[in-house]
Amino acid sequence: MASMSGTAIATSARPQFAARAQVVKGFSGLKSVSFSIQRKSFPSVRLQAASRRLQVSCAAKPETVQKVCEIVKKQLALSDDAAVTGESKFSSLGADSLDTVEIVMGLEEAFGISVEEESAQSITTVQDAADLIEKLVDAKSS
Amino acid sequence: MFWLLRRNMLPLYLNSVARRPFASSPPPLPPAPLPCPRETHIWYVVPDELKDASRLNQYMELLSPCERQSVLRMNGERLQKGALLARTLVRTTLARYTDGRLSPKSFKFRKNRFGKPEVEWDNYDLWAPPPLQFNISHTSTMIACGVTLDLPIGIDIEEKQRKTSNDILSLAHRYFTSVEVAYLKTLADPECRQSEFIRLWTLKEAYVKALGRGFSGAPFKDFTIRLEASNGKQVTGESKSDGPSIVVEAVDDPGILMNRWKFAFFELNSHYTAVCMERDVKNPADGENNSLKLKVWRTLPFVEDECVTETDAVKNIIR
Repeated sequence: MASMSGTAIATSARPQFAARAQVVKGFSGLKSVSFSIQRKSFPSVRLQAASRRLQVSCAAKPETVQKVCEIVKKQLALSDDAAVTGESKFSSLGADSLDTVEIVMGLEEAFGISVEEESAQSITTVQDAADLIEKLVDAKSS
Repeated sequence: MFWLLRRNMLPLYLNSVARRPFASSPPPLPPAPLPCPRETHIWYVVPDELKDASRLNQYMELLSPCERQSVLRMNGERLQKGALLARTLVRTTLARYTDGRLSPKSFKFRKNRFGKPEVEWDNYDLWAPPPLQFNISHTSTMIACGVTLDLPIGIDIEEKQRKTSNDILSLAHRYFTSVEVAYLKTLADPECRQSEFIRLWTLKEAYVKALGRGFSGAPFKDFTIRLEASNGKQVTGESKSDGPSIVVEAVDDPGILMNRWKFAFFELNSHYTAVCMERDVKNPADGENNSLKLKVWRTLPFVEDECVTETDAVKNIIR
């Protein structure tokens, strides 16, 4: 059902922050923080200048991404060692529209959340799904 | 069997006019007469029938560089082969209707503002290309391309045996209209309910694809598809009158059928196949009751074509 878009590899919509944090004045003891880049996609780093502590918030916890990968693999009947990561696009994994809605329902059940149709439309990668899930879980518990 | 061109073997030049073919040029495709105004032509490929690595490499040559990259981005060989065959099917099918003037390779495509793919025709001095419209659908075991002359078309296929992970009624409550849910509830037999769910899903997909506005442009919950008996009564699980027809109506405006669209639903190669096509209002012969005409071919591009319209391959047609 999918058609080829013919576009180059889509880069993540999220701005890729440098993995080197800025030096914050008045910060006791800490001059700089650096992170080594292990993978192509790395968590975005935000500095909360308002608070007195350095906060790092990742896009989504690895466990969440992992769980999404499991659910996706199960729905699409992929083998356990199939290469599914946060960057994987649902269309590249062979998901059609019925697969996508079933994946969304599977995620809702696994995480105890409810996904609006508009939000579901915007999910193209596993990472998108994981980010949305954590957003909804956080919103539910706050 | 590794049939794919490796990344480092991909041609470095992008100008397709200057390039030499990787393998020998494919033979010309037999030209096909254009679809009539009420007709949809369907060409389909069965991926399992194509195992020849050099044939697949030949197909790869037909694609644009962008399409080739898209194919290689698919996750795994099976999905890459499916993507390759889908583009090959579109290009070879369209080429058939140009009376030998355009090769499969020479087609260009663009998306309409909602993302629906369409042909981007060049300007030719002494020839007006036929205003072909097309749509494709695929499963892991079949790829189908529908073609019309100048009329929007949507096609969707699904394996008959497709099972859902979620309960049918849960899916239906979530994505279908109350009329459709009520219809599914009249079906006591779970297998019957399963297949009717798939039938409805493919018909709704075909309609959305024909509209060309994308899944969000025509949400499933906004329109009902159902069978209407010739006496005007809705067809339920128990009563099936002679010659029911498939109709679509807006949820906001029940009872007002959207006559602009006509449907066909049939079984093809163990797949449920739904086709939705706009009625040709410009043609006075296409009165209200004229149903969608179908012609169906099985193809292995450049190998063989077989017209299967009047055969057992096409079954249980409902329009």
